[in-house]
Amino acid sequence: MNANEFDVIIIGGGITGAGTQRDCAMRGLRTLLIERSDIATGATGRNHGLLHSGARYAVNDPESAEECIKENMILRRIAAHCIDETDGLFITLPEDDLGYQQNFVEACQRAGINAEIIDPDLARRLEPSVNPELIGAVKVPDGSVDPFRLCAANMLDAKLHGGQVRLHTEVTGFIKEGDTIKGVHTYNHQTGEKADYYAPVTVNACGIWGQHMAEMVGVKVGMFPAKGALLIFAHRVNNLVINRCRKPSNADILVPGDTVCIIGTTSTRIPFEECDHVAVTPDEVDLLITEGAKLAPSLSSTRILRAYAGVRPLVSADDDPSGRNISRGIVCLDHETRDGIKGFITITGGKLMTYRLMAEIATDAVCRKLAVEKSCQTAEIPLPGSEEKSYEAVAQKIWESPTMAQKAAAARMGTRAERIRTGNKRDDALICECEEVSVGEINAAIDRLEVSTLTDLRRRTRVGMGTCQGEFCACRAAGLLAKAHGCVERERADLEDFLQERWKGNFPIGWGDTLREAEYTQWVYKHVLGL
Amino acid sequence: MKFDTVIIGGGLAGMVAGITLQKAGKRTAIISTGQNALHFFSGCFESMQEPDQRVIDLFAEAGVRLHYTPGVRLMPMGTFKESALALEDIDLFPTPQFARKALIVNFLGYHDFFSSFLAQGLEKQGMSCRVRFLNLPEMEKLEQSPSEMRSVQIARTMDRIWEKVVQEVRVLLKDEDVVILPQVFGLQDISVPGRIRQGIPARVVFAGTLPPSVPGVRTQILLKKRYEVLGGTYFMGDEVLRAHAHDGVVHSVATHNLDNHYIEASDFILSTGTFFSKGLVSNPFEVYEPIFGLDVTYREDRNEWYNPAFREDQPYMQFGVKADEKLHALLGGQPLENLYVAGSVLGGNRPEFGTAAGQAIRTALFAADQILRREAPQEEKPSEEEAPKEK
Amino acid sequence: MKLQEYTESNHNFEECMKCTVCTAYCPVLQANPLYPGPKQAGPDGERLRLKDPYFFNQALKYCLNCKRCEVACPSGVHVADLIQSARIKYDHTPPKLRDRMLASTDFMGKLARPVAPIVNAVTGLGITKTVLDATLKIDHHRTFPKYSGMGFESWLKRHHKAQAEFPEQVAYFHGCYVNYNYPQLGKDLVKVLNALGVGVQLLDKEKCCGIALITNGMSEEARKHALHNVDELRKAVVEKGLKVVTTSSTCAFTMRDEYPNLLGVDNAAVRDSLMLATRFIFEKLEKGAQLKFKAGYHKRIAYHTPCHLEKMGWGIFSQKLLQMIPGIEFTLLDSNCCGISGTYGFKKENYEVSQAIGEPLFAQIRSINPDVVACDCETCKWQIEMSTGYPVLNPISILAEALE
Repeated sequence: MNANEFDVIIIGGGITGAGTQRDCAMRGLRTLLIERSDIATGATGRNHGLLHSGARYAVNDPESAEECIKENMILRRIAAHCIDETDGLFITLPEDDLGYQQNFVEACQRAGINAEIIDPDLARRLEPSVNPELIGAVKVPDGSVDPFRLCAANMLDAKLHGGQVRLHTEVTGFIKEGDTIKGVHTYNHQTGEKADYYAPVTVNACGIWGQHMAEMVGVKVGMFPAKGALLIFAHRVNNLVINRCRKPSNADILVPGDTVCIIGTTSTRIPFEECDHVAVTPDEVDLLITEGAKLAPSLSSTRILRAYAGVRPLVSADDDPSGRNISRGIVCLDHETRDGIKGFITITGGKLMTYRLMAEIATDAVCRKLAVEKSCQTAEIPLPGSEEKSYEAVAQKIWESPTMAQKAAAARMGTRAERIRTGNKRDDALICECEEVSVGEINAAIDRLEVSTLTDLRRRTRVGMGTCQGEFCACRAAGLLAKAHGCVERERADLEDFLQERWKGNFPIGWGDTLREAEYTQWVYKHVLGL
Repeated sequence: MKFDTVIIGGGLAGMVAGITLQKAGKRTAIISTGQNALHFFSGCFESMQEPDQRVIDLFAEAGVRLHYTPGVRLMPMGTFKESALALEDIDLFPTPQFARKALIVNFLGYHDFFSSFLAQGLEKQGMSCRVRFLNLPEMEKLEQSPSEMRSVQIARTMDRIWEKVVQEVRVLLKDEDVVILPQVFGLQDISVPGRIRQGIPARVVFAGTLPPSVPGVRTQILLKKRYEVLGGTYFMGDEVLRAHAHDGVVHSVATHNLDNHYIEASDFILSTGTFFSKGLVSNPFEVYEPIFGLDVTYREDRNEWYNPAFREDQPYMQFGVKADEKLHALLGGQPLENLYVAGSVLGGNRPEFGTAAGQAIRTALFAADQILRREAPQEEKPSEEEAPKEK
Repeated sequence: MKLQEYTESNHNFEECMKCTVCTAYCPVLQANPLYPGPKQAGPDGERLRLKDPYFFNQALKYCLNCKRCEVACPSGVHVADLIQSARIKYDHTPPKLRDRMLASTDFMGKLARPVAPIVNAVTGLGITKTVLDATLKIDHHRTFPKYSGMGFESWLKRHHKAQAEFPEQVAYFHGCYVNYNYPQLGKDLVKVLNALGVGVQLLDKEKCCGIALITNGMSEEARKHALHNVDELRKAVVEKGLKVVTTSSTCAFTMRDEYPNLLGVDNAAVRDSLMLATRFIFEKLEKGAQLKFKAGYHKRIAYHTPCHLEKMGWGIFSQKLLQMIPGIEFTLLDSNCCGISGTYGFKKENYEVSQAIGEPLFAQIRSINPDVVACDCETCKWQIEMSTGYPVLNPISILAEALE
């Protein structure tokens, strides 16, 4: 087999694509992942980061709920270093119907979700930031997940099993022989190179952009983009996930994640043309703050870090063009049986939470096509870094008395933090002080995790995710990246792009300390550094 | 406590006003929430395009030597910016092609100096560059801490061991006509940059680093010292909470530290800076000035505060306190006769004063002159020479 | 309040702009690379500690609690309070015996006083210091303050009737130092206040202000002291309508600010009436009272502003008082921490850092060669006397000396 030939090509570097590549690679297939931007840039990187217990779906969509809780338990085992086992609360406020609670709990129990009614007093003790006016509370096994870390870990595992990755590479067309997809034409946005890749099976895991892929192939998949807006607060206000115990609605989940917490989300249908340019509107900002403050009143006086929006790929359950009937679960389309096109599979629908199951379904379909009989092990084998659950134990093992930065590295990298103990003091120097990211951690990411831009780096290491939003660390990291890939001109442009991205998320909430920080950043980059 | 003039905000504007007033015999006090934006000062005074001897003398008397050389300055990212008035250790070149060959020297493990960006920027101008790193054992102590390789900490060490650097650079130097060093020299000992220049047989250019800026901190220390030597009282780390004023006259201010021990004065200058230093405060609905509640020029619609493109000028940077042509602050449309506005807290477009550092200095001098003139209306007005120039 | 009209956070940590100015002014960082610096230990660390207390860093114990980071911060973040609060909240290491001893000034004072001459002789011996160094890790360079045989309280109680006759009354929180080590300072204060027509009385029962308890991991104990002292202050301020003065800048600072900010003890009813004696005296003089000074009194004085006084912003009062004395040559020393920070500098592991921090101050004092160094803090006094050999006097003592 020559270098451009694979068993399977997976298009889309979101969690579904990365998870599918991992599963395929673990079953011995030669895999190639192609992603037009960076990993986790679609819905994967633009959600709450909620590790659903499934409770939210228990009443209206019991199948999803069951799927969720099963996957929740699996991910806790195999993706330990990407997950924060926080537990969650479903609270009933005075304006809500307390009667919903009973129904809710029963539905949870039926789905296998351990939902426990607790006294509001206990809820207040467990979660001091929760709205003290709550009249009811249910405790559920919610958690939070870092989708970037999860995605990177899947990709890394795929690579460790021989998989290859092409990021910043866009599929510009398909190589079709009759009614069989043989491969793809690609264009690398960074190098300008064109390349063709071949495989008997191609998996379309592009989220909402899957519609476009399908159209290029010549099949129709009914997808409807639904925008969701979210806000990140500058520090972690709550330690348990806080939900509203009522019919799912806008902005009723507050998720703690790493050093921040996230309130979301909304749901607005948007046209396809807007998918690549989603922006958060002032109305959405107002709604998120207002509803968020009902869950945790201190949010009304907590600094907001950034606003962002993502696009959910809602998949139609039928051919109704209005998209009134959205499929609730995982959708795996074998286009051979459906449309007569061989060698092409679409995997979509589902949620971040159930990615592993989606990947399993897609990989099963791939293996069927290739007549490969290997079973799925992704639920048993931990992802690289997740072999040890407690990051405390990891840090202790690697460094006897870890510094704050070393502890933070252990929390982010899991057992892979071993790689940054180089014995060279200079590797401990901090690049990002807000999030405690060292030179060593950045170099490890550049080496193994397909980093070519500052935003890529940010996703994998949290550089620039702190309250300064890249004020200092961005140009320090730019220096390291320039050294790594050798092109300063490119890095200069990258730095500007990075700052533009940060600004895009800051100005919708540009008041108070956020505005002060933005002003300082402008000052530093324009007047002091001369960017 | 009573003073002749109280200056609220001890940054560039506040200190220039304070020094001017103290020198003219006024008893003044400066009240400052903390250290100020001079800590991020690039070393070049923006919008000071014409030579201004009064300014140069004021700084010189404080031990801060400036030079007036219209041209361009080499920026830390390898770009060039026009300037005319700068600190002594900042070079201003007639054109960006100021040398043939450059040796760029950095310290190993110092990430706040962008040697690769500098090199690339110079190469674009047709220069050839060599980048070398120094690995000095004296830096080891700094390197033990993950966050200690920063400009001010390095500068403290450099004040002691700069000669070592000179030695190493001499060894590294081949046929380059320019040596570029990070701006981490001369924090406490202001003679160091000059002595480094003397010790290296090539033109030595100090290029900036990530803040804090060593020349900025040095300038701050010297200006503050000058102010205090002239008899000024600098209340460091205190915040003015409220003012007592009626009938258009401010009588006293109350500060956090001195609580009910009010500070009285005949005149007041507000030089509290912008959002960063909380001279202006914003929330989702408004922008306001927190001490006096002065009239502020800003856009009512929050969407108009920003330009979505980061690289463009941002409307919110024009927001600030309204003042009349004599720089009296406006409250409810009426001027407060003894409250002057100076520095970046002044809002709107005031071309007669310029922008940024130039604005800070010009408005401070103008306000100080107004105050001095009030006491001596018959005398030759010194501010005639300094009438605000059209930009 | 409208949503997001203003923001609040623990000690204002969210207002941090990451400008790193605090780090540039931290005295510890310059001497001890193991200390992460105020920005890292404070606002940066806080976000991580909120995620998981595991991220608390023991190296925070190197913080001097000098508050210089707060004085420098352009954003009004209470950086030092954040760091000390984190130590109180997250550090559960039980304090060493040495730290308990150093922090329990009341207890040690009461033990030592009856046998003061013996204690003084013994602690002055080289062999004692060597033993203390080896066993408790109290650095052998340190000189212990001498204990006084008669406490200040006993002395004032003897003069109670005479003091009660003054038309105006003030209460005096004397603190451990004046009571156990140097009652002369208390006597000096009484002299100056009497000269202004103000009589001095004690609080019913003082306890040590507790600053050393706070920084040595004994915050529960400190809290008990705080609650007790605030109650005593309340009796004087609210019930008797008195102002309360102290001669120690750290005692004033601790009771006014550390009590509410670090210990959560509410002192709102008494805070404004509790002040440093130099402020009280200055305000009286500003309102027209007068002090008569000796003719021919001449002294070259170099004034050192203790860190806590710098934080309070009240150095101006002590300076202006001294400058009122005719015949004085006054120099204001550059703002520089002396390095001892109370019990901090007694600990062997901190000794070198303490001395390195104070060295620029010592060098300046030597170059000025004053007759006396004036300073409102007793531990600064021990440090400067030990490190330079120059005598150090509280401004009140200098005033008393210069009075007719």
